[in-house]
Amino acid sequence: MLLRLEAVSKRFGREWVLKDLTFSLDRGEVVALLGPNGSGKTTLLRLMAGLLKPTRGRVVREGRALFLANPPAFHRHLTAREHLLYDLAFHGKGGDVEGALARFGLPAHLPLGAFSSGMRKRLALARLALLGPDLWLLDEPETALDVEGRELLLEAVGEARRGAGVVLATHDRALAARVADRVLELS
Amino acid sequence: MRRVWLLALRDLRLEVRDRSGVLSALAFFGVMLFVMALALGPEGAPLRRAAPGVLWVALAFMSTLLATRAFALEVEEGTLDDLLLTPGGKEWVYLGKLLFQLLLLLPLSALALLLSAGLFYLPLARAPALLLTLALGVLGYASVATFYAGLLARLRGREVLLPLLLFSLVVPVVLAAVRATVGLGEGLPLEEVAPWWQLLLVFDLVYITASALLFPLVMEG
Repeated sequence: MLLRLEAVSKRFGREWVLKDLTFSLDRGEVVALLGPNGSGKTTLLRLMAGLLKPTRGRVVREGRALFLANPPAFHRHLTAREHLLYDLAFHGKGGDVEGALARFGLPAHLPLGAFSSGMRKRLALARLALLGPDLWLLDEPETALDVEGRELLLEAVGEARRGAGVVLATHDRALAARVADRVLELS
Repeated sequence: MRRVWLLALRDLRLEVRDRSGVLSALAFFGVMLFVMALALGPEGAPLRRAAPGVLWVALAFMSTLLATRAFALEVEEGTLDDLLLTPGGKEWVYLGKLLFQLLLLLPLSALALLLSAGLFYLPLARAPALLLTLALGVLGYASVATFYAGLLARLRGREVLLPLLLFSLVVPVVLAAVRATVGLGEGLPLEEVAPWWQLLLVFDLVYITASALLFPLVMEG
């Protein structure tokens, strides 16, 4: 079992965002989170990543999780190449940065402040593909991506499921139907 | 240790490219020294007497500004989560941010010393001992400032809260640093200044150890 949530609840102030959620994920599985705005999809992903602590219940993770935020977070004064090199070093890993940038169609030496939203999303996917976490947590990964970018996303998720687990929050039911083994609806 | 250096050097690179943090700290620092020199001058004696206090107040404010900056870089861009999800504990993030601050503060402190010598007649005859005092004082101050800057990074009003929390804890460091600087300025023998250095060293070690141990706890969501 890669990830297990046992009766997890999360409250912000007086507002319960999630209540008594039990969930598990194995390696090789892709789960889509669906639900309207404010239903707790991002909160759930952050709980799964360990970026938030549950108010009640328990989150058990085996392996390393990475979270793709929406919008993805990068330092605007670094280039894509520099960012990926630092990320690899911080994670104690090596990898083909030039190859990843070429694969995701990104310029190596342009400051990220000049990147469009779609390019930033592609860079976030390149980052995940390079770092190869055990658990991919993707928050609306399809937004801002063009047709080619969506194909790259599907390809990356397909590769991830070979050894890792993927949870993706989305509003796109067609995407969920195409990539996910299971769908979890939040209301 | 490699990650600590890389994070510090990365932040330094970001700061050099952005420039606003260092420039605002320098401008604040320069204006403060000039205003104090104008207010206390032109006679040499009151300027010399006030020099250690003015120098350390200015350094304390500059360090506070830069500490906020160390985490503001991450919070503004939303990248703090990525750092916290790296494997192998979170202490290295604190140590990297502290090192980043020291890499900025130590050269700026040396510049501050030169400015104080020029404006306040602070004698530079014992420059190595003065530099040691600066290094120990800045390290103690920055170690707590970095910890609190991390703790408050995601709160609104952190610029107000940081000095309030920080100054109460670093009073011993500022006092010891000022006393050592006064002693060196008055030409006391080094044996009489050394106890203040020892005190600073003890505070530095305690603050760095406690901050590194507590940092992962305060970073939990």
